[in-house]
Order: sequence, then C-alpha cells, then structure tokens
Amino acid sequence: MDRNDHAAIQAVLAGDKEAYGALVVRHSQTLFRVAFRITGNEADAEDAVQEAFLRGYRKLEGFESRANFGTWIYRIAVHCALDKVRRRRISEILRVGDSDDPELDQIQLADDAAGPDRLLLSGEISAMQMAALQSLTATERTAFVLRHMEDRSTAEIGAALGIDPNAAKQAVFRAVQKMRRRLAPLRVAT
Amino acid sequence: MMHLTEEEMIEQAYGERENTVAVESRFARHLAVCPLCEDAFAELKRDLAEVDRIQAPARDDLYGARVWAAIADSLPVYKPKPRTWWAIALSSPWNRGLAYAAVTTMLVSCAFYAGRLWEQQKRQLPVAIVSPVPKKPQQPKQPIVVVVLDDHLDRSERFLVELKHADLDSTDMASPLRDEARSLLTANRICRQKTNKTADPELTTALDHLDTLLGEAADAPGGLNPQSISRLQEEMNADGVLFEVRVVRSRIAHNASANNPQKGGTI
Repeated sequence: MDRNDHAAIQAVLAGDKEAYGALVVRHSQTLFRVAFRITGNEADAEDAVQEAFLRGYRKLEGFESRANFGTWIYRIAVHCALDKVRRRRISEILRVGDSDDPELDQIQLADDAAGPDRLLLSGEISAMQMAALQSLTATERTAFVLRHMEDRSTAEIGAALGIDPNAAKQAVFRAVQKMRRRLAPLRVAT
Repeated sequence: MMHLTEEEMIEQAYGERENTVAVESRFARHLAVCPLCEDAFAELKRDLAEVDRIQAPARDDLYGARVWAAIADSLPVYKPKPRTWWAIALSSPWNRGLAYAAVTTMLVSCAFYAGRLWEQQKRQLPVAIVSPVPKKPQQPKQPIVVVVLDDHLDRSERFLVELKHADLDSTDMASPLRDEARSLLTANRICRQKTNKTADPELTTALDHLDTLLGEAADAPGGLNPQSISRLQEEMNADGVLFEVRVVRSRIAHNASANNPQKGGTI
C-alpha cells in the first residue's frame, strides 16, 4: 500500500478530515475514467466518483491497512457506476412504458441503437460501438469494460462486481458475443 | 476433431492470466492444424481490436480538488479513539524495543522452563514403564525403646526362669544370679522411667514387681543363699511375675509385628 495513502487514512481516522482530500485528489482521475467507461456519460461518471468517495469515507474504519486503498476505492467506484447504469435503465424502461404514444406503447424497451447506414454514412463508428455497449446488461457492460478497456483479470472483475470469478468470466463472454452480433453489420459494410 | 469454442477463443484473446501453459500450448497446437478455428480466432481478434477503448473526457488537474470540495461538507469528522495506556507506551520506539525484548525474554524463559519439565518427564517416564517397582512402603517408626524393653524383658524372663529352677542345695548359682539381678535392676529402673510416660498399666505393674524382686535379689543381706532364693521363689510365684513378664513381652512382640508385618513376629 502507498505510504502516503496509509498516512492519510491514519490521519483521517485520527480526526483530520482534510487528509481525505489528498486521497480524493490522488485517485479522482482513475475513478472518473472507469466510471465514465461504465456509465457512458460525464454527469453519471462524476456522480459515481463523488458517491464512491463518500462511501469510502464512511467505510474507512473497516478498511484493512494492509490492503491497497487505490484498488479498494476503485471497486467502490465500479459499484457506484454500476448502480448508476442500473438506475438509469429502470428509469428509461419506466419512461417508455408511461408514454402516451400508441406507437411507443408497442416498444417496451429503450433502444439507443441507430441504423448502421446512418452511422456509416456519418462516420460515427464509435457511436455505434457505444450503442452496442448500451445494449448490454449493466453487469455485462461493466465486466466488458473492466476486461477490454481496464485490462482487469477475471478475478479482479469478480471482486469488483462482488460475484464469483466464473460468473465474471461468463459475463465477459456474453458481452463479447452480444457486441460482435451488434457490430456485425458494421463489419459487413466495411 | 473438436473445434475450439468461442469462450475458449475469447479467453485466449484476452490472455487470461490464470491460463496455464498447458492450455495455451494446446490452443496453439490446435490452431496450427485447424484452419477453421484459426480463421475464427483471427476474426475474433479483429472484432475486439475494432472495439475502441472508450476514451474518457479529460479532466483538468483541479478535478480532484473540485470533487473534494463537493463532498467535504457532507463528511463527518472521525473522532479519534482514546489511546490505551499500552498504545501510548508503545508509541516510543525505545519503549517498543524494550517491550519486544521483554516479551522475547519471557518467551525464551517459558520455552526453557517447559523444556526442562519435558526433559524431566521424559526421564522419569521410561523408568515407570519399564520397571514398575512397587513403591517401598514407608518404614513405620520403630521406637528404640521397644527393642530395648523387649531385650530387657527377655533377659528378665530368663533370670526368673533360672531363679525358679535354681538348685537350692548348690551355691554355685548364687553369685551369677545376684550379678545378673544387679545388672537387670539398673536396666529395669531405666525402663520404668521410660514406660511411666507410655501409660501402659500392665507393663508398669510388671516392671514394678520385677523391680521389687530384682532389688531383693541384688541386695539380699548376706548375699543369695538357699533361704533367700527360696523366699524369692515364693514371692515370684505369689506375684506371678514370670507370667506377667511373659504376657507383656508377648504383647509387645505382637504389637511390633502388627506395626511391621514384613519384619516377622519378633523384634
């Protein structure tokens, strides 16, 4: 564990609240990056980062001094980002279900995917990829982000999501399969 | 030929750290001989490579400070836990060193003591198992006075027997009897002094009668002559001194053998 992190935690537990500020400054960028990759938008990512540091502060007494604070707060941030995605999904489903438009009544799930032609024409490949990511479940999306973009091992993903490593591995498999299916038109077109 | 599954390919494509060398070599061997799987794996890798890493929007150097400013007010201050006396004592490196030294010394002492106990037990255990010698019963205390008394009574009994069967017509026995009586008289008085404290009435009576008889035999005026011997014989028979001595002696011998059964009947 980083000596500075350890010293800051000891100071916080001894009553020096401001010492936590140093930890926040040191780890904010990393947490924002992963939170953004999971949530897909800045506002949710910033909320997730703040929520992670708040939860971390409240649980600081239970933090084991031998552990790495960076890893610990990273996992909390993943949880917070995951919660954001799940809440957003629920609110989107409810919003679609409450619509008065009879045409929308027939569609019960939100679908952010745009047509491949339009995406290809506008050159928004990354937007399509983002849409493919959005089609994944919150767990699959998080597992994929951690595996594909954060280079985390299956064990680390399992720990971050609070699930068994095998379940994490299966989540990655499902995510890759879905992503490939969603991006298949893009491949054919190119 | 069993083809590789998509799951195996995905796992391999991400280079899972938990993969063993055996799994990876099996995977490579299969790809070398299976064009279908080789193509499928290449396609998978291409697909994954095309999925861009989502680049998070850059945050300036003050981002962390802004996060802190946003949450700082809502955080309570941790109350420092009261420090225990030992925590205060151990806060000094010097005291900590002393404490470690004390604990180490104590542990070494305990280990040394335990080792010694263990050695002692080990040393005693085989003796107890291999040669189960029964514990020697404690020798009962044998008062020396009993031995002396028994000896005195034995001599007295023999003296009385000689006196009882003394030949009144012969004067040869008179002098040895008187000498023996004098010798026994001294011993009898010592025994009387000792036995007065034992509160044994039979013994006391017997020694009293013996004292009278021995006194008369030792100090008979004109020495022991047939008349005095005859008189002593009458007194002895009248008082039953010989019988008393035998009874007392027998009882002492019995008591002694009862107290020490392994020693036999007599002392």
